[in-house]
Amino acid sequence: MLKIENLKAGIEEVKILNGIDLSVNAGEVHAIMGPNGSGKSTLSAVIAGNESYEVESGSIIFEGEDLLELDPDQRAHKGVFLSFQYPVEIPGISVSNFLKAAISEKRKQLGLDPISAKDLLGKMREKMELLNMKKGYLSRNMNEGFSGGEKKRNEIFQMAMLEPKLAILDETDSGLDIDALKIVANGVNKLKNKKNATIVITHYQRLLDYIIPDYVHVLHNGRIIKSGGKELALELEEKGYDWITKEADKKWG
Amino acid sequence: MGLIEAIKKYNLTNPISNVENSDAFTYFLNNGIPTNKNEEWKYTSLKQLVSNDFSVEAEGEEISQEELDKSTLKTENQIIFLNGEMVQKPEIDGVSITSYTDKNPSFEDAFTALNAAYAKNGYRIHVEKNVHLNDSIEVIFLSKNTTNNFIQYRNRIDLNENSSIKIIEHFKCLDKNLCFTNSLTNINLEKSSNIEFNKLQNHNDFQIVVDNTIINQDEKSYSTINTLLLGGKFTRNNLSFYQNGEYCESNMNGVVILNNNEFGDNHTYVDHKKANCESNELYKGIYLNKSKGVFNGKIMVRPDAQKINAFQANNNLLLSENSSINSKPQLEIYADDVKCSHGCTIGQLDDDALFYMRTRGINKDDAKTILTFAFASEAIEKLTIAELADITKKEMEKKLNLSLN
Ligand SMILES: Nc1ncnc2c1ncn2[C@@H]1O[C@H](COP(=O)(O)OP(=O)(O)OP(=O)(O)O)[C@@H](O)[C@H]1O
Ligand SMILES: [Mg+2]
Repeated sequence: MLKIENLKAGIEEVKILNGIDLSVNAGEVHAIMGPNGSGKSTLSAVIAGNESYEVESGSIIFEGEDLLELDPDQRAHKGVFLSFQYPVEIPGISVSNFLKAAISEKRKQLGLDPISAKDLLGKMREKMELLNMKKGYLSRNMNEGFSGGEKKRNEIFQMAMLEPKLAILDETDSGLDIDALKIVANGVNKLKNKKNATIVITHYQRLLDYIIPDYVHVLHNGRIIKSGGKELALELEEKGYDWITKEADKKWG
Repeated sequence: MGLIEAIKKYNLTNPISNVENSDAFTYFLNNGIPTNKNEEWKYTSLKQLVSNDFSVEAEGEEISQEELDKSTLKTENQIIFLNGEMVQKPEIDGVSITSYTDKNPSFEDAFTALNAAYAKNGYRIHVEKNVHLNDSIEVIFLSKNTTNNFIQYRNRIDLNENSSIKIIEHFKCLDKNLCFTNSLTNINLEKSSNIEFNKLQNHNDFQIVVDNTIINQDEKSYSTINTLLLGGKFTRNNLSFYQNGEYCESNMNGVVILNNNEFGDNHTYVDHKKANCESNELYKGIYLNKSKGVFNGKIMVRPDAQKINAFQANNNLLLSENSSINSKPQLEIYADDVKCSHGCTIGQLDDDALFYMRTRGINKDDAKTILTFAFASEAIEKLTIAELADITKKEMEKKLNLSLN
């Protein structure tokens, strides 16, 4: 589904991603871990199409198509979704109107009939229930004044509404209390199927108890320096990153 | 013949007989059209525009019913001026509407002086005590000329005790010649009266407007001026509120969206003379392409004016590198028990917000439009006449579409 090869990207003169290779197939869950500043959010931003990062070389192929040729909105229409580490406040537009705009545009671009207001509302209600969200939330302005946890839950709510093929969850667990974590993880699991894939970026093994990854990758200095199964996360939890980052530093300098 | 010469020539064929008017004219001649040297006109220049050929109060071309129908908002109560002459007015119980010439005109600067000297057309609305008008009165000044024309109006609105009214005023020019309007409206509010005055300024590329509104408020009176500056070659609005009694409230609400080479200047002045009054001012400006804006908000709190609440905000969005805004709050506070807040912001659309929206599938132009509407919404939501909010939104959409594509 997703194939990243030798991806190098940065901002102005600063190199952040130094050659990323990653393959994700439909039905899989990949976890990306790694120290602060290793480039996890940058990688997700580049996949989603943030124009402030310059791609120096490499490719991102998504379902046979070169993502780097597409605008962020076109990537969204193809089914790429990013749950932001720091969701942005959009004043003056309610959650429901925001989603209406997003979904209408997506349906238009995919050549689908517009969804009726009633059906849309029904779907919103259903997903809100899934994520145990408070009533009245739909009429609040997008992320404005939301608590940290509410913002994260709102990201997953949007994901549930947009039904992406590839969801990248950038530290969606941070800021969530234990109950919220379970609810959100449960929501993500319910949305999972054979045709979609998830990349979870996290610092904590805890989330991976709920969303069980097929693969775990360690990112360091803009490179994936180790990949393994779900037991790798447990090992990292126990030993920290030192033992692999030192080795990598020797190799790459 | 530039405007000044045209006015002098007009003076030769239309000599002034009484003292008040000739004093005003002398003042105008001595001061001339304000230049950037005048502090109040520092960022606002008419120099080029007034060097164009002008005629003064030219006769005007015939305006068809169809042209008229297209220009008005089709409201119930219309006061219609065609080429300076009042041709229609509504009959309303408790409200007298007449055409108006100011017998004792005052002035404070060159434009109001010129207006005092020569404006002979205008309307007067007088609302009797305890009369509350539910429907708004629409005033339209429509003109059509085959030459560049300079035209003046002088109006007066009096609200007796405990009365209320809503007005929509707009100037329209139908031809493709410069159309320079210099207008002045005096509004006098008796105790507990309430006016909402809407200036719909969706002017075209040929319109030059200098508009003065002077509001004198008695105790417990309430005034709101909504300025919808949605287009026009050149617009200068001067709003002045004088709070002459206690417990008054003065509100100003502005939406400015300009494109291409349009220019708009909002100068406001609130004179808090008495205690326990309020003023609220919110202007939202959106500038596209090479458009330019000026905002100058002066608030005076005199020594006797204790317990004043004065709020002022001017927020601006520059949507192009070539657009600009000069925004200046001016507070003069001589009382100590006063709550004054003011803020002026100038910014661009937030890139992070744009990216966030685009990752949800909203295309770039729509995302920009949504954010721009969100920016203006606070001011648009204050409009009580739905049709004006609709016109404002449509005009915004049109301008954004034009400039984003
Ligand atoms: N817009 C930017 N401007 C300047 N530097 C940036 C920018 N974005 C990222 N960086 C730098 O790139 C590096 C990687 O940042 P990134 O946010 O991708 O790390 P991360 O792995 O997500 O870290 P964390 O675990 O703290 O979220 C950091 O050193 C960061 O300072
Ligand atoms: Mg990060």
